Amino acid sequence: MSSILEFLARLAVWLLLAPLLPGIINRVKAWVAGRRGPPVLQLYYDLARLWRKGVVLSTLASPGFIAGPAVAWVAVLAAALLLPLGPLGTSLSFRGDVILLVYLLALARFCTAWAALETGSAFEGMGAAREVSYAVLAEAAVITAVLTLSMQSGSLVLSDMLVPAAGTGAALLAVGLFTVLLAENCRVPFDDPNTHLELTMIHEVMVLDHSGPPFAAVLHGASMKLLLFSVLLVQAMVPVGKLPESAAVAALIVGVLVVTVAVGLVESLTARAAFRRVPLLLTTAFLFCVFALLVAWKGGTA
Amino acid sequence: MTMDRLILFAILLLVAAALSGAWLPRLWLGLTLAGTAAFLGAALWTLGGSAEWDWRSGFELGSERVHLRLDAISAWFLALVAVVGGAGAVYAREYWPDGERPESAGRGRGWWSVLVLFMGLVLLCANGLHFLMAWEAFALSAYFLITLERERPQTRAAGWLYLAASHAGTLGLFAFFSLLAARTGSWELGPMRDHPELAPLFWVALFGFGVKAGMFPLHIWLPSAHANAPSHVSAIMSGVAIKMGLYGLVRFSGWLPVPAGAGWVVLTLGAASAVLGAAFALAQNDLKRLLAYCSVENMGVILIGLGVGLLGAANGNTAWGRVAMAGAMLHVWNHGLFKSLLFFGAGSVLHATGTREMSRMGGLWRSMPWTAGLFAFGSVAISALPPLNGFVSEWLVYLGLFDAAASHAQVAVVIVPATIALGVTGALALAAFVKAAAVVFLGAGRTQTTAHAHECGWWMRVPMLGLAAACTFIALAPVVVWPFIQQPLAAWNPAWRGGQPPAPLATLGGVQAALAFLVAAAAVALWLRARANGLRRAVTWDCGYAAPTARMQYTGGSFSALAVGWFAWVLQPQRRLRWPRGPFPRRADHVERIPETVLERVIGPLNDAVMAASAWVRQRQQGHLPDYILYLVAGLAAIGALVIFDNM
Repeated sequence: MSSILEFLARLAVWLLLAPLLPGIINRVKAWVAGRRGPPVLQLYYDLARLWRKGVVLSTLASPGFIAGPAVAWVAVLAAALLLPLGPLGTSLSFRGDVILLVYLLALARFCTAWAALETGSAFEGMGAAREVSYAVLAEAAVITAVLTLSMQSGSLVLSDMLVPAAGTGAALLAVGLFTVLLAENCRVPFDDPNTHLELTMIHEVMVLDHSGPPFAAVLHGASMKLLLFSVLLVQAMVPVGKLPESAAVAALIVGVLVVTVAVGLVESLTARAAFRRVPLLLTTAFLFCVFALLVAWKGGTA
Repeated sequence: MTMDRLILFAILLLVAAALSGAWLPRLWLGLTLAGTAAFLGAALWTLGGSAEWDWRSGFELGSERVHLRLDAISAWFLALVAVVGGAGAVYAREYWPDGERPESAGRGRGWWSVLVLFMGLVLLCANGLHFLMAWEAFALSAYFLITLERERPQTRAAGWLYLAASHAGTLGLFAFFSLLAARTGSWELGPMRDHPELAPLFWVALFGFGVKAGMFPLHIWLPSAHANAPSHVSAIMSGVAIKMGLYGLVRFSGWLPVPAGAGWVVLTLGAASAVLGAAFALAQNDLKRLLAYCSVENMGVILIGLGVGLLGAANGNTAWGRVAMAGAMLHVWNHGLFKSLLFFGAGSVLHATGTREMSRMGGLWRSMPWTAGLFAFGSVAISALPPLNGFVSEWLVYLGLFDAAASHAQVAVVIVPATIALGVTGALALAAFVKAAAVVFLGAGRTQTTAHAHECGWWMRVPMLGLAAACTFIALAPVVVWPFIQQPLAAWNPAWRGGQPPAPLATLGGVQAALAFLVAAAAVALWLRARANGLRRAVTWDCGYAAPTARMQYTGGSFSALAVGWFAWVLQPQRRLRWPRGPFPRRADHVERIPETVLERVIGPLNDAVMAASAWVRQRQQGHLPDYILYLVAGLAAIGALVIFDNM
């Protein structure tokens, strides 16, 4: 019985708390710019509204246009449920679950790009092309980060990999993962979530033609993905698993808030990078992860 | 006893099929299906745990006694030969019928049975001489199948290149088997792990079998052959025939001792094949060439698994070697299944539109919903995405790689780059298959050719559905397949006999099944919700364009331009861009071509040099007597100089 309750609690965290993050980021941006900004709960209002709205489908779109966001949403949620939530633990834990997590995010990417290309729009084609191309570099960084974690913990189970954390290379890994977080969640300097209509966008442009409930799934999935990366980043840095329960919960919450505020600050203080700089930025993130890996490797043999 | 009969039946049925193929298509289909079913039965029986089948006859061929044996490794590959051989035979009935191809349909049927028969015999022969004979017959029948459409010059060129490359590989195999026979004193094949002096032969085998397996940089023949062959032939070539090269590598790295560096080299070559194969695939604009390069990529993934397996075996039979090897073996099946499915899908598109050029297609899902759905299924599977079967085998390979890296052993130096390479490969393959599926099936039709497209009939649909069902089975119940994988693993390395799955396969199967269910449920639920709220169709928004045309869509070339730019150092794209000039521009165009780099930049110039040297030598031979006297004198002087220098 208690395991069912715990599962429901985890599900609630992912489903209900995730849309809070974009609200906080917007609050930080408004505060830096000296504006009042939208309410923190704005995304909840948007989701509720979108869920009740009708859908405008492109005449070219196949049923895959609606299936795409649904599959991507399930994939992100499943990936999130594999990730341990500090003392709340994880729903399911097995050897190699971390690889499943990485590939579930890839499945979400496949479906988003697929749905984008359904409409035959050049803008969405551009976005999808950039998404899948930059993912090649981001994937290299993510796999290296996973290798680092598995080398320093000697395990391939997420809940064990994230316990020791705070290895010597934690700072290096944190920089790498934070950059990947910005890239994967369409944040400045890779992308600008404020504008949907520019030729220069990546993720945001892919969802131009979505509306109604499918668009709600897209937005909610994006917020879950942001929370997922934040939780992963915090647990990779802070040894949450070694703290007493209440302290661990507090550390996790504070950590996620710090990451969120940092995203908001980066977004307020920097401009979006020119497109030819994006591969350079991602390669830098990859190199940070490689250095973290080398530290973990040396740490293991010393 | 039963095994004797099954194999004999299979061989006789396929021989009868080969003879009847030209005139009696229905009988041929029945005989081929029965023959492949018998092969499949024999293979599954062996994999089910029955003892190795060993059969010696009194009959002699080339003064060697015929000796056949079917152990678990052979059976693993034989099962794949049988499944794709049967599926392709059904597919060909509609794809290459007598009505449309009166000249080549009968030939195609006959050679198909010959190909299946001799691939089976390659797997069964336990005598080096007979192995070579079966190998040659298999290579030749594949040549005749590739060149079925021999009126097209490109097909003849592709066939010629295949024949030349294949024989270069066979030359390596001649060297391998004759050296083996010379050192052991017999053509008989079998376990010889206690002869360390045989280890260097592995390098010869790696070349010979590597050509057939399409391993980078020996893959030069593969893209054009697979692209120009009829699609059912491409399917069996890409799904099964290149696995014969892999069979050779697995077979002889299991039977013979391997040199110390074998694992390192195989792993490096595998990583190179995987990344570069995926990069080349992404750059292609010909649907079947894209699929062909993707085979190079998948062979790379399998070779990574084999390389880790070799390293694991060399480092004290570690568990990580076993799990990676299991992943490699499973990927042999998986790739055979979904690659054949994808080539069948490409064939259906080719049948409907008459072109392989992706930039002429688009929006085909409307006229070909079955093909579009099945191709999308295959794309998800081959991109190794959960919840389908490609993920299961890549996951096993990843487990092996990660465990090897975490062991902090010396091998981590090569394991870590290979792991990152596998991750990059996955992302590149995903990009390539989003491109392939979306440019062909989604959006609006780009040319008139798509307007008359039609769905394929049931004869083509059923084999695709069958292959998709097999993929789904492996995806959702990998734990059922595990006992079968265990047999070839134990045959390859006796130290890895028996035991539990090295990984929580049952859990993964459960997760995959749950995920498949949730994905379907979510898609249906979202569709129902959208319909309840009201669905309205409107023109694609496209930032306010009132009348977007199909030509405004992103093309395949523009989709991959970004990543192709990063790999320009190896892809060497050739561009010709003519800008529109003046107020009334006459013409403007942009042509881009991705050459086969190894063939055109390395083998081509080499070939030119050899031809130039030959032409020069030929000029020296004009029939003038004084010239010959001069050559004689020069030759004698050279020999004399050699003798004098030797004595000094």
